[in-house]
Amino acid sequence: MTARRPVPWYRSWRAYAGLVLVIAVYAYGWHVTQIRLGELWKGARLIQPFVAALAAPDVVAREPVVQRAAGAFYYGGETPPPQSAGAGPSLRLSRTSGAIGERVVVHGDGFGPGRTGVLWWENQIGQRQQLAQFQTDAQGRFDATVTAPEVQGTHNQIIAEVTTGYGPWRPSRTLLTVLDRMVETVFLALMGTTMGVIFAVPLSFLGARNLTGHLPGGSVVYALTRTLFNLTRSIEALVLAIIFTVWVGLGPFAGVLALGVHSVASLGKLYSEAIESIDTGPIEAVTATGASALQVIRYAVVPQIVPQFIAFTIYRWDINVRFSTVIGFVGGGGIGFVLQQYINLLQWPQAATALWMIALVVAVLDYASAVVRERLV
Amino acid sequence: MSEPILRVEHLSKVYEDGTRALSDVSFEVARGEFLVIIGLSGSGKSTLLRCINRLVTPTSGRVWVDGRDVTAASREDLREIRRGIGMVFQQFNLVRRASVLTNVLAGRLGYVPPVWALGNYFPAPVVDRAMQNLERVGIADKAFGRASALSGGQQQRVGIARALMQEPRLILADEPVASLDPALSHSILRYLEELNRKDGITVLCSLHFLSLARRYGTRILAFKDGRIVFDGRPGEIDEARFRAIYGEQAEEVEIE
Repeated sequence: MTARRPVPWYRSWRAYAGLVLVIAVYAYGWHVTQIRLGELWKGARLIQPFVAALAAPDVVAREPVVQRAAGAFYYGGETPPPQSAGAGPSLRLSRTSGAIGERVVVHGDGFGPGRTGVLWWENQIGQRQQLAQFQTDAQGRFDATVTAPEVQGTHNQIIAEVTTGYGPWRPSRTLLTVLDRMVETVFLALMGTTMGVIFAVPLSFLGARNLTGHLPGGSVVYALTRTLFNLTRSIEALVLAIIFTVWVGLGPFAGVLALGVHSVASLGKLYSEAIESIDTGPIEAVTATGASALQVIRYAVVPQIVPQFIAFTIYRWDINVRFSTVIGFVGGGGIGFVLQQYINLLQWPQAATALWMIALVVAVLDYASAVVRERLV
Repeated sequence: MSEPILRVEHLSKVYEDGTRALSDVSFEVARGEFLVIIGLSGSGKSTLLRCINRLVTPTSGRVWVDGRDVTAASREDLREIRRGIGMVFQQFNLVRRASVLTNVLAGRLGYVPPVWALGNYFPAPVVDRAMQNLERVGIADKAFGRASALSGGQQQRVGIARALMQEPRLILADEPVASLDPALSHSILRYLEELNRKDGITVLCSLHFLSLARRYGTRILAFKDGRIVFDGRPGEIDEARFRAIYGEQAEEVEIE
């Protein structure tokens, strides 16, 4: 009698049926997710400014040194109070009141010589429009004729501005905003994680089979706790964040609550499993010395679980920092909020700054948490 | 004749899964004996030792230690009975991440108020005693290291020091040398022998090897399928009795 040899795959109808099934699944998947590789090429020019901005994020800026002088011009027959001419640049207008369309001769004095400047018209509520450009002569003077434009309100100002140079390099306003929001992000993650830990630690003891198993009704408590963990974990933190923004309003607090609730579930599950995997030998040994339940937990259970608890917690904080960078997209505070604004307004250099900041902070924390966890476990 | 330190009467244990570990076991142990319990794996040795301090609750029968009924003791009484019974384990059962000293101090928990545990507090005399006991087993220099950093033989010595913290009248040793190599086996058993002879502590020790049992025991109790099949002096175990305990195919191996 010959031993039965396995049938080669190409002679089994199951293999062909399986192949057809796999092809069908992927064909449908391609269709339903609307994969159009051509768009990658066609859309490239749209994303080009962003790629360029990544190389030149908005991190430093020089403030221009601007000389400024203004003169009032009122509509509606009113005359502005006379201006006292101080030191520095000044403006003199051929008339200070009139109607829309009036020609006004502007005479400037005391500006930096041989520079280009801009004349602005500013209305009663501070809205500006450009009237003309001018060139100062060797004495720092200029003359320009402008037409009073049609604006709302009566109390207007004509403003001349000459940029005479640039101040020292400074961190840009974007960088400061992004830094500020990044700090908020890291602390959002910290508070969320802490909230998670506070609730997860006691719950995890209830969700550990080896501890609840001996108690009356223990298996019910165990099942309830684990179900709570699983249900909560199945709701993404982003969804929770939306719910909490409705509850407590926009801002980082909603983010803290969302991360906290999500962390309770994930940490609780990890903690419970850590408790379930402890060595029962020390528990037996400490019990045999005549120790009470409290002493057994303190001397036989806690030393075994603390390092793992700390490692899980740091890991969770790491995840939460990453997550809190996007929680701002739904109004949960943190850097995501400004990042979304920059992207929506196509402010690519600013968006690049935020992205680099996220990458930097997440990478650093990732590394730090890996080092700490390695030492503990 | 004085009260025996241990009296076991009609002790039986059937586990929840139906395993019958002990069947109607009765014996007495006098003060100062070094009683060695032998038998194959699964013959009920570990269950017997754990019934004595009620780490395992017997199904029926009674156990008296020093005249006190262990099987009927309240929670508080049980705590008090347990602290007078030291226990040494095959797997040492130390908290591996904790320091050696903390592991030894844990042996004193039955004597200190439970709330002290929250602050990990032990009075200075207790700490001194722990250091003395570590010195006695020759590893005082390792007191502040982690228990996991020690070798198997050293860990078992910590286990003995922990049992000594209880000032026990009785020590239960469950296969204390089964995880150690033969040379270390003797060093550990000699510590137990010293406690037995010098300190007058009664020792109940389960062992795999008959040669070790003969060398250290003042009396041997042999188990097979949860029943006592031999109770007598080491010299009385001949070829026939050996086969009755270990089975027809067994051959005795010597351990140096």
